[in-house]
Amino acid sequence: MNCKRFERQIWAYLEGQLPDARAFEAHVGACPRCQRQLEAARATSRALRALPRHPAPENLAAQVRRRIAESPAYPRLGWARVWRRVALAPALGLLTIAAWWGWQAQQTNAPVNTAAEDPTESLVALHEQLEAADWAPSPTPSYFISTGYTR
Amino acid sequence: MDTLSGEARLVERAKAQDEAAFEQIMNLYADRLYSYILRMVGNATDAEDLVQETFLRAYQGLPNFDGRASLGTWLYRIATNLCIDHQRRRARRVPTVSYSGQEDEDGEPAEWDFPDHQTPNPLQAVLNRELEAVVEDAIGKLSPKLRTVLLLYDVEELSYEEIARVLHIPIGTVKSRLNHARAQIQKAVAAYLEDAPAAVQARFAK
Repeated sequence: MNCKRFERQIWAYLEGQLPDARAFEAHVGACPRCQRQLEAARATSRALRALPRHPAPENLAAQVRRRIAESPAYPRLGWARVWRRVALAPALGLLTIAAWWGWQAQQTNAPVNTAAEDPTESLVALHEQLEAADWAPSPTPSYFISTGYTR
Repeated sequence: MDTLSGEARLVERAKAQDEAAFEQIMNLYADRLYSYILRMVGNATDAEDLVQETFLRAYQGLPNFDGRASLGTWLYRIATNLCIDHQRRRARRVPTVSYSGQEDEDGEPAEWDFPDHQTPNPLQAVLNRELEAVVEDAIGKLSPKLRTVLLLYDVEELSYEEIARVLHIPIGTVKSRLNHARAQIQKAVAAYLEDAPAAVQARFAK
């Protein structure tokens, strides 16, 4: 074993993760430089594990409680977030129904001045009918009222 | 296992607005998180603010905590993100970041008031403290990326998998950062032992 390989295996050896440590141990017995490296690594490992825990400030819990009380922007159980999610679905549904209802109403009110008997038969017929409704002088097509669009 | 299920119960209670349960969570993790943050940012004032912020964010995020990660992993993730943000902000103001240890009001290194869990031998205790200072200093000189991994693995004793989850990086990256970090600390310790008298060296040899 050479010194480079030895150095790569030092921490695995210290953690008992070297499957076969014989070559490693033979090298350390013959190489004073690597022996010093092993000692340094062992001292490092022990020192890291023995680093003291710094006690948190005694008033930490009180300070956190104070900051929680001072932050109304974040409701306790995220109700604003939940509400947004719950409220969005019916709102979108209502909008769709309103648009559909508006369109249906417009279908019955619009003057039929096209050859097509059934407006759903072709897109061209539908387009023409909408165009006709759009140009009708009065009343304002309900489609635009229902979507909040005013001309 | 029992601790885990105990923690899960605590989390459920805290979610149900049980203030005492959240208080217990704080008690469980306060010292751990404060120690970690203090070593990450290097001064007590910022560490105090950041540990408060960690618990505040935890409190606010509790409804969304799904328990897929352990409570500890989740809290370390919040703390780590806050430390990284803090270091980024500080890096914009001050070009270099170095760890100076805890300071008292006069800016002098404070005497750390920790229970001495070393051997009763007074010489060994002094040597351990010296070595501890060398290691703390070397940790402070690591880049934030390396420091995070080293602290989480060697000091906070999280697993590779947990650290990968905290930092959202592959396990291979965790291991390679750990190797680099350890190599730098080891270099500092080797230099200290090199300069130390033979008697000291003998104390740290096996």
